[in-house]
Amino acid sequence: MSFVSFSFFLKRISKNKFEIILILPLALFVFGFTIGPIIQAILMSFEGIFGGNFPTLASYNYIIHHHYFKAALFNTIFITGVGLSLELIFGMILALILAEKFFGRGIFRAVMLLPLGIPTIVSASNMAFIFSTQGFLNELLYRIGLIEVPIDWRVGAIKPLMTIVVADMWKVTPLVMLILLAGLESIDKQLYEAAKVDGAGRWHRFRHVTLPLLRPYITMALVIRGIDAFRIFELPLVMAGRHVPVMSSYAYFEYIERNNPYTSAAGATILLIMIIIAISVYLKAVGTEEVTG
Amino acid sequence: MKKHNLFLTLLVIFFGILMISPVYFMVKISISQPQDIFTQHPTFLIHNTTTKWWAWIFSTKEVWAPFIKSLEVATLTALFSLAIAVPGSYAISRLPPRVRYPLVLGLFFTRMFPEVGIALPISVNFIKWGLLDSVLGLVIAHMIRILPLVTWILVGTFETVPKALEEASSIDGCSRLGTLRRIVIPLAAPGIAVGTIFAWLGSWEEFTYAVYLTLAERTLPLQVFYYINRGNWFLTATYATLTAIPVIIITYAMQKYLRAGYMAGAVKG
Repeated sequence: MSFVSFSFFLKRISKNKFEIILILPLALFVFGFTIGPIIQAILMSFEGIFGGNFPTLASYNYIIHHHYFKAALFNTIFITGVGLSLELIFGMILALILAEKFFGRGIFRAVMLLPLGIPTIVSASNMAFIFSTQGFLNELLYRIGLIEVPIDWRVGAIKPLMTIVVADMWKVTPLVMLILLAGLESIDKQLYEAAKVDGAGRWHRFRHVTLPLLRPYITMALVIRGIDAFRIFELPLVMAGRHVPVMSSYAYFEYIERNNPYTSAAGATILLIMIIIAISVYLKAVGTEEVTG
Repeated sequence: MKKHNLFLTLLVIFFGILMISPVYFMVKISISQPQDIFTQHPTFLIHNTTTKWWAWIFSTKEVWAPFIKSLEVATLTALFSLAIAVPGSYAISRLPPRVRYPLVLGLFFTRMFPEVGIALPISVNFIKWGLLDSVLGLVIAHMIRILPLVTWILVGTFETVPKALEEASSIDGCSRLGTLRRIVIPLAAPGIAVGTIFAWLGSWEEFTYAVYLTLAERTLPLQVFYYINRGNWFLTATYATLTAIPVIIITYAMQKYLRAGYMAGAVKG
């Protein structure tokens, strides 16, 4: 039995030799430089704080009692939750604007796509200029008379997090907009006419025609953006540094500054688990057919 | 109707200003005198311009080493990614759907892994292999994030090349490799070009792997990071503008390819 299936397997291979040769470099690279390192990082996280003690949970035990780690965990979840919701709302508003026909629409679309042409590290430094105490936002608020004394955006529990959320929104709302716009353009205009005839107002048409038909696109935007939001790195690192750690920058500080690869690996592994849990919970809630189909 | 139009116009202007202003301030700082920026009340319009920051990075020749390293790494990353992704994604596109979809989805989900989790063991290994601070090391690291993206784009491209053309070519006596070279790749050339450019951009602006794998030989994004940590706004803004210029130009040149599917992989926050 096993011999039969083995020879069948060999026949399969020789029949598809050409394809296998073509695919081999790609497969080797992905296994060697993506899957391999991930497994290595997970194994390292069980080696203890100083390494070589496999298997032990010492690194995990160390970081979960580290107040810095708790802050990173909270900040990551806050930025992901608040950021994703706001990006979806604003992405939807922008997509709805662009679905209209108006004078200067082409220019508006081009302007909205500007952030896609700005490297993340550059947008991080730009936002640092804006949210500095002597920065442009404080000056704007002062000139329109909302504040007398400049606000220090780096202190407090929520303020620095909100600056990071705004920075992330600036960079990625255009992407959410593009995804939702693709969805809006796929909706048959006759459906709106039909709803209008049935007496549905603007809001009802949006709520009962647009939203249900956009669901697969919303799912796509949420999954793609959700993964990236959990992994957010440059923006908090540049804008707030050690004041506002997130999971990625926590792993970075542990390795680069505290020179401890093993606790860094534990932080990265926890982040991976968070992403997997979030995606599985979400996909379970909305059903997988929307992603694969 | 009138009222609706006014509201729309105001929204358009509001969002327009919001999107442009960070980039405007960056360029403004890079050509501003300190007295316009380091004051209690920075100015919004450009008053006292100077080219001294731009002149400084060029006259001290400080800019060339990072610029050349970024250029080398991005170009090699694009070429190597192409060399691996073109044959690989062609083969994937010719697999039966029940194998192909899980494979493509699997490639996509490698993006789920935190980059700090991959960069850490890569950095630990590269120290051992002497690849830290090298162009080759960074090229390999950049391919980790760029290969899946390019493969994703190319599989979609190769799927549009009709199989009948290949069959006709093989009946005419062309070998499989010859068919690939003479028929498939020329037909897929536009998609391959798009993939190459995205690969180049993705490497040019990459920060995470670069910061893990660099000690002294910085790339342009690291130069931005270096100066913002030193608190020098003017050089930060100058390097930031320099880093962004090619990305802005190429992004607008490729506007029609900015489709949701491609961008899904290309943009990261």
